[in-house]
Order: sequence, then C-alpha cells, then structure tokens
Amino acid sequence: MDKLLRNKKAIVIFIAPAFILFTLVLFVPILQVIYYSLCEYGALTKPEFIGLDNYIELFTSDETMLTALKNSFFFMIFSVISQQIVGLFLAVLLTNIKKGRNFFKNIYYLPCVLSSAALGLLWAFMFNPKMGLNQILACIGIEGPMWLSETSGFITLPMWVIAFVALWQYVGQNMMLYMAQIMGISRDVYEASYIDGASPAKSFIYITLPLIKPMMITSISLNCIGSLKFFDLIYNMTQGGPNNTTHVLATHLYEQGFKYFKYGYSSAIAVVLLILCLLVTFIINKCIKVDTYEV
Amino acid sequence: MKKKFIFALLSTSIIASLLGGCQVSTDTGVETTEESSSTSTQTSDSNASETKSDTTGNEEKITWMFWDDLEATDDLITKGYKEVIDRFNEQYKGQYHVDVVTTNLEEYDTKLNALIAAGQTPDVFICNPGANLNQYVEAGVAADLTDILTNQESEWYGTFSDGIFEGITYDEKIMAVPTCFAAACVFYNTEIFEKAGVQPPETFDELLETCKKIQDAGYVPISCSANTPWCLSMVAGYLCDRQGGPDNLEGIMNGTLDWTSETFVKAAHNLKELSQYFQDTAAGDSNDQATANFYNGEAAMLVQGSWAIGQVNGNNPEFEDKCGVFRFPGVDGGADPNRMIVKTDNLVMSSTTEHQDACIALMKQFTDDTAQKYIAEVGGKIPVTGVEIDYNKAPKQLSYIHDILQSTTGTLGFYNESLGSVEAGDTFDNAMVEVFLGSATPEEALQKVQDYFDKKVRK
Repeated sequence: MDKLLRNKKAIVIFIAPAFILFTLVLFVPILQVIYYSLCEYGALTKPEFIGLDNYIELFTSDETMLTALKNSFFFMIFSVISQQIVGLFLAVLLTNIKKGRNFFKNIYYLPCVLSSAALGLLWAFMFNPKMGLNQILACIGIEGPMWLSETSGFITLPMWVIAFVALWQYVGQNMMLYMAQIMGISRDVYEASYIDGASPAKSFIYITLPLIKPMMITSISLNCIGSLKFFDLIYNMTQGGPNNTTHVLATHLYEQGFKYFKYGYSSAIAVVLLILCLLVTFIINKCIKVDTYEV
Repeated sequence: MKKKFIFALLSTSIIASLLGGCQVSTDTGVETTEESSSTSTQTSDSNASETKSDTTGNEEKITWMFWDDLEATDDLITKGYKEVIDRFNEQYKGQYHVDVVTTNLEEYDTKLNALIAAGQTPDVFICNPGANLNQYVEAGVAADLTDILTNQESEWYGTFSDGIFEGITYDEKIMAVPTCFAAACVFYNTEIFEKAGVQPPETFDELLETCKKIQDAGYVPISCSANTPWCLSMVAGYLCDRQGGPDNLEGIMNGTLDWTSETFVKAAHNLKELSQYFQDTAAGDSNDQATANFYNGEAAMLVQGSWAIGQVNGNNPEFEDKCGVFRFPGVDGGADPNRMIVKTDNLVMSSTTEHQDACIALMKQFTDDTAQKYIAEVGGKIPVTGVEIDYNKAPKQLSYIHDILQSTTGTLGFYNESLGSVEAGDTFDNAMVEVFLGSATPEEALQKVQDYFDKKVRK
C-alpha cells in the first residue's frame, strides 16, 4: 500500500477519472454560468459581455427579485425551525416506542419519496377555491380564504400554505437523519444517567442533544440549501403568482430563463443563489460548535 | 422479514400508481398495423407528454407541438386537430409521420422555449401572434415561408382569406401559417338575462347596470379568471381600446403616449368598477374554471375569444341554445365601439427542420377544406380559407359572431401580445391583476408599466 502511495503515476491514474468527471459536470458549468451572468445572453444569440449590469439590475430595479429573496429567506427560516423541531420530536418519539416504530417511520417518510410535481398538483387541488378544503369548510358554514391567491401581508398566505406543505413533505427526511443518530447512542449512557437520577427530559437535554449535534449541522445545512433552491412545489402550486408574490429565487430564475429567454440575467440569479447557499453553509458550520465525545 | 417485504411491495405499488397517474396520453388513436416495426412509446412528466404512434419505420418523421392534450380534452377544436393528425398519418403512411408533443396551455411557452434552447425545436409548433411569434422570428427559430407560399405552393396560398397573413408578416416575410381565427366577445346566458329582465348592453354604463340587476337577481354577473392573467388582461385591453381607440396602442408603441395618460387611467378605473361583479373566486380560478362557471349556468357573462365556443359546447352541449353573444360595449365619450380583438392560431415551421416537405404537407392538412369546415361547423371558430360554411350546421354562437364581424370597423390584437415582447405583455397583465386585487391603485399600477417601458422598451 505504501509503495502504491509513493507512486505518483498511480495516484494520478486513480484520481484522474473522478477529477475529470467532477470538473466537467460541476466546475465547468459553474464557470460558464458565472461568465453568462456577466453577459446579455438570449440563449439563441451569442453572449455579449456587459459587466455587472445584470447584477445591478437585479438588486436595484427588479421588484420580483426582492420578493423572491424575501420569500426564499422566509422559506428557509420557516423550514429550518419547523422541520428541525418537528423532525427531532418525531425521531425522539419513534426511538422511544416499541410497537409500530417501523410503521410510523415509513408513514412519515413516505411523502419524501413521492414526486413533488404530483404532490404539488394534489395540494393545488386541495387548496383550490372550488374544491378540496374550502368545500369541507363550507359544509360547516365557514368561508375559506383564497389559500393560493391572497396577496396581502408581508409574507402572503400562499407562502405559508406552501411552507406547511413542504414541512409535511420533508419532515420525514429530518426525522430519519435524527433517528439514525439517536439510535447510534449507546443505551448504557442513558442507563447511567437514570441511575444518577436524571429525568427523561434531562437526559434528552444533556445526552441526546449534544450527541446529535454533528447530525444537526448536516440536517440544518441540507434544510437551508434545499429551502433556498426550492422550486417544484411552488412551481406546481402557484407558478410564482398571483402577481409574482410567491416567486422564490429558483422560480424567478426559471421564469427569466425559459419564459423570457434572458439566460444571462437568469445566470446572475443562479450565481446569487449559489453564493447564498455557500454563505449559509459557512455560517452554520461556524455557528454550531461540535464537541467530540466517545460514546 | 415478511412484514418488510409486504411493506416494500405496497410502497412500490403506491408509488407506481402515483407515477402512472401522472402520465398523460396523447395517443392519437392510430391503429396498429401488421407491418409496424416500432412500438408506441410515451415519455411524460407531470404536464407534458410525447406520443410516437405506430409507423412502418421508413417514414420521414416530424414532431408537432401543441398546447392541449389531444386525447384527454373535451375541447372541440383540439379534437379537430387530433383528426387532422390522424388523417395525416394515414394519408402519408410510408412517406411522412408526425409525432405529437403536448403540454397544458399555461406551460406551453416555457416548455417550447426549453426545447428550443436545447436545440430540439419541434419541426412544427403552434404559436400566438404578436410578442410570442416576434421572439421566434428575431431568434431565427421560425422559417421564412414567403417563397414556399407565394411561389412553390401558390395554389395553396390562394385559398387563404385576404389579409389573414397581416399579423404574421415581418418585413414582408411570412413567418407562419394560420389555422383558424377567433374574435373576443361577451358570451351571455340568455336564461339568466331573461330572469334578471335585462338586455345585452351597448355602453359600459349599461353593462354596469346590467351587472347590478343580475347580481340582485342572485346570479354572478361575470365569470373571469385573474389567476390566468391574460383573461383579465383581455377585458382591460378592450377597455383601453374603447377609451382611446387605435391611437392608444400605436402611441404606446411609437413612444408618443404614456401609460399614465388619461385614457389608460380611465380604462383601469373601468376595470376596477367592473371587477366588483366578478365571481368571488376570480383571483384563484383558472381560465378553465372561469369558463366552466359560465357554461354550468353559475355566471351570466363571460368575456372570451370565440375559441371558447368549442370548450363550452364540448363540455355542455345543451348550453348552446341559451348562449348569446354581444360585442364588448363602448364607453360614453370614448373611441369607436365597433372594433374587435381578434387573433389567429398559427403554425410555425422550424428554420432548422430537415423535413420541410413533410412540414408543409402537415400545414396543408391543417388548412384543407375538411379541417377548415370542421373548425367552423363543429369548433365554432372562423376559418382562415375561403371554404364554404354551412351556418345551419355550425354552432349558433358562430353565426352571432359572424353577424357582429359584419359591422366591425377595425380589429386589434390582444394588448399583452401587441407590446413587443412577452415580458412587456406580462408587465401589463400583472398591472391589471394588481388593479383587480386592489394591491395598487390604477394610477400606481400603470406607473409600473410606464417605468418598465421607460427602462426596457424606450431606452
């Protein structure tokens, strides 16, 4: 093995395929997008370099971009808080029950494996003013709101609705991650704490929480990145409407690129999205300190 | 272990059935032949589908993209197009074959643009005139058909009605072939009008009074979709034209008139006044739902293009007898009230197609006498050729529209399709939705359109 590691040729041969593939499918497209973001590029015409004009327009005169940023941040904050709390709660609950654990685990995880496009359409029907929820409410004499069409408020009702649908869909993923981590904690640690007189709540705070911190970082990072680049449910439930009030960064990017053929401009949105994802991951890694324990 | 196996089996079957449910078939119903060498395949995402029906394997294959599902629809025009495709594949068996790619209307433009950007432009695709066609012409996606029509196929060219190519001609180059022609009118439910004791109004003030009486009689006066912005924008376009006439649109396009000028502001205020008589769910209803409100007898009026005749009669054939049509009313002190919003559905041939002859043959099939007679006599739209129509066979609404067109003094395109670019049209649409929703005053909403024009159009 040592001999192999000293052989530079062998190292290069082994690393080259993965490196080339990684470069071709990741770095080259990223560099291409960065270049296009500095161009006026209509997909069917040649890119024309215009410097930072796309970025200037994005932040100074594009109202939809500001709405999309606001909605993306709302979505990220709501998703992180709700999915982490509910996901952790479900994970703790399910690791502590003996009967039906697998059944409930699968039930909660099922929405994660279903197609978001199909779910988006399903929920769009559920919240349609002519069918679904409002019809049920009408049976008991309540006039339901326009779930996906209200435009009042700083965060509009459709955004709350979509955020709750996303919570329903993705909470199972966080639950599974936390369950895997919690089940890896030795029972001996808990037994020792009970012998020392710790209550279940205390053992959760002083044993479970510190030991699942590494998974917390992974889970929160995945949550944040997933929320920032969120697309499918919004596209299928509101398509950014009414009047652009439910656009997030990814749907705004899609609209500018594929509806208006503004590939340069949508590349600039993609670069902003990329920077935000990197920034959020960096902040999470800096803010949550992980202590190493032997368990 | 057994439980896990059963669970895995059940989960798989649920997922498979869900995914199966998402598939949309656009099988055009071509029967399998003995010499068929390829089997029918379908690829589908949630809303788009592609059909490759049976072929002998030796044909020149082309693709045609359309904005409705040929198989799942009740729309009579779409059913007519399905018949055209079937006839084409049958008639040219062994020579040409067309595969159909369909999406729903709302996603058509984005899906088409994605295909074009990926270098997979359909050989022939349906396209709206105005801003949509502009972008394909400017990008070089649309083939120039002038020589084909005027020289190579002059006999075919001679069958078209006079002036029908006007809106699809750029610098004297014909860039598309129209398949049918539609005019926007107000459709009304004669039964509800009778019960409310009202007559079709001729002025905007009369329209408001009519709406009030219908509302008092317990009916929804107008069904309109603000969730599909072009529906609301069509009403707004009519009001803008009724206030300022052709000068409005011309002034905007040549930069001599601002969106904040009096006629546009008045039109936006008119829209706000009229929108109080829309159904409660107008903000959330799609175009199809708004149309359904009308043909199901829940609403008294529907402002729509005459393409809605096929949809109305296809979904509720009994409604034809009680469906009247009148021209969108004029405003007191405004411009000519006899102008109509009209548009053609157009077939664009890809400039990169390698099967030009097959594409032309398909376009001819869409405009032959059989197809054009169907369009009028069954679908209720206006043919683009001089084919003779038996108005006794045609939907009653078509003859009403025909009568209205006789006294029409001029035509205009949809406002949102006449503003130079898709984005400019969307800006106008969104401003009108804002007026409707009350999230901006008419003045504020129009100022936004003006700002857009200052920045992007008149820079």
